[in-house]
Amino acid sequence: MSRAAALPQRRIAAASGRHGGVFPPARVLLILSLAVLGALLVAAMSGSAGLSPRVLLGEWPTPLAWKVWWQLRLPRLLLAALVGAMLAGSGAAMQGLFRNPLADPTLLGLASGAGLAVALWIVLLDGAAGSYGLYGQFLAGFLGALGVCVLVFALGQRQQGQEALFTLLLAGLAINTLAGAMGGVMAFIASDEQLRQLSLWGMGSLSHALWSATLGALIGIPPALWWLLRCARGLDLLQLGELTAHAAGLDAPRLKRRVVLATALGVGLCVALAGIIGFLGLLVPHCLRLWLGPGHRLLLPASMLGGALLLIVADTLARTLASPAEIPVGLLTSLLGGPYFLWLLLKRRVPC
Amino acid sequence: MLTLADAGFAKAPALTPFSDCLIPGELLAIVGPNGAGKSTLLSLLSGYRRPDEGSVCLDGTPLHRWDSAALARRRALVAQTLTLGFDWPVRELVALGSEASPADVDEALDLLDLQAFAERGALGLSGGEAQRVMIARALCQLGLGHSTEDSPGRVLLLDEPTSALDIGQQQRLMRLLRRLAQEHRLAIACVLHDLNLAARYAHRVWLLERGRRIAAGAPHEVLDGRTLARVFEAELVACRQADGSPLVLLAP
Repeated sequence: MSRAAALPQRRIAAASGRHGGVFPPARVLLILSLAVLGALLVAAMSGSAGLSPRVLLGEWPTPLAWKVWWQLRLPRLLLAALVGAMLAGSGAAMQGLFRNPLADPTLLGLASGAGLAVALWIVLLDGAAGSYGLYGQFLAGFLGALGVCVLVFALGQRQQGQEALFTLLLAGLAINTLAGAMGGVMAFIASDEQLRQLSLWGMGSLSHALWSATLGALIGIPPALWWLLRCARGLDLLQLGELTAHAAGLDAPRLKRRVVLATALGVGLCVALAGIIGFLGLLVPHCLRLWLGPGHRLLLPASMLGGALLLIVADTLARTLASPAEIPVGLLTSLLGGPYFLWLLLKRRVPC
Repeated sequence: MLTLADAGFAKAPALTPFSDCLIPGELLAIVGPNGAGKSTLLSLLSGYRRPDEGSVCLDGTPLHRWDSAALARRRALVAQTLTLGFDWPVRELVALGSEASPADVDEALDLLDLQAFAERGALGLSGGEAQRVMIARALCQLGLGHSTEDSPGRVLLLDEPTSALDIGQQQRLMRLLRRLAQEHRLAIACVLHDLNLAARYAHRVWLLERGRRIAAGAPHEVLDGRTLARVFEAELVACRQADGSPLVLLAP
């Protein structure tokens, strides 16, 4: 077959392949963005105080409804979108960095490290009482996540392939257990007021999102997301192995520093604001990778949008399913994600 | 041209300093027992490690002073095995690390006889196919499709490319490397375990022993039975084939 005749055929093969040929990248991101917007609209209308679409025209049923919507629901929705985007985006980036589909901020203990730091801050330093309580909480979350990130990374560097995976998952298990136990100790020695603070925060819930918290997220999370997006090409190259990637022009140590810092900042903030919301970072990139292929230039932004979408939907369900009571959204995502993760392990022969 | 000027590495696995260069158009085989420092040498040649003494220069500029993107267009590396975390389609994998157009990718795929696998996932490939994919990727990175008479010399480094291949694939790969070296004026350095492949296909051989390069030259000069027997601590005989190239055999 001549070259000229062969070319169109290749193009057809590419278009029907499962690796994203059908949906050009721009369209995938557009579809996901529209879905996020749609979910935001629906979520903004639903809740224990339902609103009709007429409010869009400025016809609020009562002044109180407007106040509830502006002070409680809107910041909560924005927080859900940001936290979802951050958790799923950092999941995708960590999986790329470890070259492993099972890396996830909660599984590797990042989130519980951040959680422990926040608990220490609330109980030992009585940080929640002060006027800078929330910002101290951010900082504690960041430092906790950063500490675990560096530890996990040092462990993961010492081995290759399958062995490294076992070490990482075991380290995550140990960190999660340890952080859980230390959290228990903190709860034990906490005063009544601190205990209330702890349990309010710890269930993984977006319910205490007020503008002060959401503003923190609005300031901290978008730069972390932007930072991760800029690592996409580097993460692609890293898949070739460190030696080959270096020869292809990658400064691997710099890439690692960037991803680790952005992830620690973002995940630390998320945990400080919303507690531990599990499995989002595993679930979303994994599903999207099956659909879009493993290239990070598409996978990273798509994961961020997908994470935002999933958390908005999950939080709306958490608010409305047992209305007027509320299910902590972290509970909901773990109930969804846990079985999915087990199923993933069961059917996993080749790396997925 | 890639030159080593008294380049050595002090930390284990150490390499005693020596000077030499990789010549465009030449296929160089680096041989030696396990732990002799072959991989250290390869990482020095690619600039992944910096020599403790002396320097490794491309066109007279030490590798670490090069802009990494510019250097990537001049030298590429093919690792021993392809360890992927995710299932990349072959076509995307080949385009990784370069600005190769789809036509460039097709050309590299054709050259390595990979068109049949272009849309498949790389995790399903056999060791030999994966090796060819990685070579195609390295060629794209070097922009081989766009080379002209006066484009600067480029360097391709390979770490035991034949270790996962059957004997027919080994032969085809070594022939291809030799042809690439000659047709594109590529300087190829290739770590090899199989002394007979080195004897048959390399223009030049470097023999390493315990971190020292103890011999360099044409295969029939370096691959001498007695030296090899001592270096590899094996009972070997080296015969001479009709064309003068050595053939290394296990002693009966």
